[in-house]
Amino acid sequence: MSTVPSSSSAAQNASAATVAPRTPSLVTIHPVALFSILDHYLRRTDTQDRVIGTLLGTRSDSDVVEVKSSFAVLHSETSEQVAVDMDYHRTMYELHHKVNPKEVIVGWYSTGSNLNTYSALIQNFYSQETAPHQAIHVSLNTGVVQGEKAGVQAYVSSPVGVFPKPENCVFTPVPVELKFHEAERTGLDLLTATAADASSTSSQPVADLEILEKSIQGVSDMLDRVLAYVRSVVAGEIKGDAAVGKYLMDTLGSSTEDLEKGGFNASLQDTLMISYLANLVRSQAEVSSRLALTASS
Amino acid sequence: MAATSMAAALAASLPAPEAAPAPAAPTYEAIPASMSKAIDIEAEIPLTCVQLDGLVVAKILKHTRESTSSSAHGLLLGLDLDGTLEVSNSFPLVHHSSDEDDKSSKSAARYQASMLRSLKEVQSDDSVVGFYQATTLGAFFNQSLLETQAVHHEKLRHGGIVIVHDLSQAARGNASFRAFRLTRAFLEAHKKLISHRLTFSSILEEVPLKIRTSLLLSSFLGTLTETSRSPLADASPASATSSLLPPSFNALNLGTANVTRNLEQIIEAVDSYRTEEGNLAYLSRQIARERAKADNYVAKRQEESAARVAQGLAPLPEEDVSRLFKIPAEPSRLESMLLLGQIDAHAKNLSGTASTGLVKMHAARASSGV
Repeated sequence: MSTVPSSSSAAQNASAATVAPRTPSLVTIHPVALFSILDHYLRRTDTQDRVIGTLLGTRSDSDVVEVKSSFAVLHSETSEQVAVDMDYHRTMYELHHKVNPKEVIVGWYSTGSNLNTYSALIQNFYSQETAPHQAIHVSLNTGVVQGEKAGVQAYVSSPVGVFPKPENCVFTPVPVELKFHEAERTGLDLLTATAADASSTSSQPVADLEILEKSIQGVSDMLDRVLAYVRSVVAGEIKGDAAVGKYLMDTLGSSTEDLEKGGFNASLQDTLMISYLANLVRSQAEVSSRLALTASS
Repeated sequence: MAATSMAAALAASLPAPEAAPAPAAPTYEAIPASMSKAIDIEAEIPLTCVQLDGLVVAKILKHTRESTSSSAHGLLLGLDLDGTLEVSNSFPLVHHSSDEDDKSSKSAARYQASMLRSLKEVQSDDSVVGFYQATTLGAFFNQSLLETQAVHHEKLRHGGIVIVHDLSQAARGNASFRAFRLTRAFLEAHKKLISHRLTFSSILEEVPLKIRTSLLLSSFLGTLTETSRSPLADASPASATSSLLPPSFNALNLGTANVTRNLEQIIEAVDSYRTEEGNLAYLSRQIARERAKADNYVAKRQEESAARVAQGLAPLPEEDVSRLFKIPAEPSRLESMLLLGQIDAHAKNLSGTASTGLVKMHAARASSGV
């Protein structure tokens, strides 16, 4: 019963999409795309004020555009004209397409946050590349100019004026989010830890236990902080916050029934067993590799 | 001293200074004295360290996670300077199926060449220094990796390196990157393994790896991790502060989902090792049989010929025994050795999981106050 109206509305949506695809309402960016842009900016020539490039990604059924990666494109800007190396753009797109066929052109990026006539012209070019969908423009402020904050902005454009011209358009901001998979999270943690280091380097590989130690240390520090807060509230030095109190109760009052019922010991035995097995296998492997040497010599 | 000055002279005269960072421009300026020690055209300074750029880390992470097959691999670009191999960029390679025909390898070569050309146009490094390889649960020893690496060794400066990234470890909260290169001993003994006393642990040697973020990237990451206070004064503690990269406690996850798969993989590896050993035993039995037959024949003939000599006749003419009896070639033990290496790596991974699991369990018990 309910399928009929929903399918008809889907059909309506589809027909609407063929006429004019929906304007993106959210842009998500993968960190790799941002890092590539920063690298490109570092490698610009002296004469270049800003660098531009193509954004690759996917469009979901809804109006979310996911930017997954980016590559640099050659361009030159003078006071009279702007030129984008379209051949280069095409070649690079084809190369990327071979490895990752799911990613299509979704728009373009530039560094710096000023939008000008040239931006409109380049936007016009990319709109042809992404038709019938709208091209998005991501501007990344690298924070190099003093007084400007580093950040990312995304825009969609719409023509302006009674007779639309390619050099005139309105850039409408679209919300941007950083998006990545949970498994990549650890890589980002590694990079942020590296960045925080004074020498901007960190050595690899790190042992599992070391990371675990750091995490436990972090948790223990947090517990100390909470404990200090609770003690000072109890002592009457600070006025307690009811919201914080409730939050603490929710977090710390979790059930430990399973552990009490001997679950801990059973689990401990399993883990020790696995550890024993692993070491046994390793020594066996070592022995057989030595035996293989003696057997045939 | 004479060697370095000669290297400097070479640097100035060679048409394509592929690894000389200072004279990148086609007009060859004199190399500053401070740099002349760091430049070696002939790759004489041994590699002591590999430095991985933040961009490459992110690229490898993305590629290895997204690729459906477990063998995601790509090329590393960069250059070496004074013993440190700086990897500054990378790109993924097309995954080709196992039955590799001539056409696909040709198109792969074309893809590689045109990618390198394109990257050069935007001032990226364009010299290949090695490749990267994804792995799960610690086992990355296989024939194709060694073959690729052995091929690269002939073409690349310093023989090329391979960076191994473990996906399952990244999921557990430890993004691990390790750099390896083939040992000299293995390269010499690529064909005849046993005579060189090699085991799986001496095929690859690990090179120290460092991760480096450029200053621009560092500052940008700084802005990403900045926490901002919510504008609402009475926001709940959960939403009082917001950050693009909130702290994660993935490493503390008690789940042991990977252990089952790890055990399965060990069993699989052991099974294939047994099969391989069976094959080897069969082959060596066959060799022994053929050899015994040949020996028998020779002995018989010698007896006969001795008998003829005793009777005063001319001895039998010499015969080529190797043509009569086909003794099979000694089988390669590389595969079985690599399988052992795989078993070892899986087991190592398993024991690592078990030890961290133990710590986590005790931590959980301590915190719950049981």
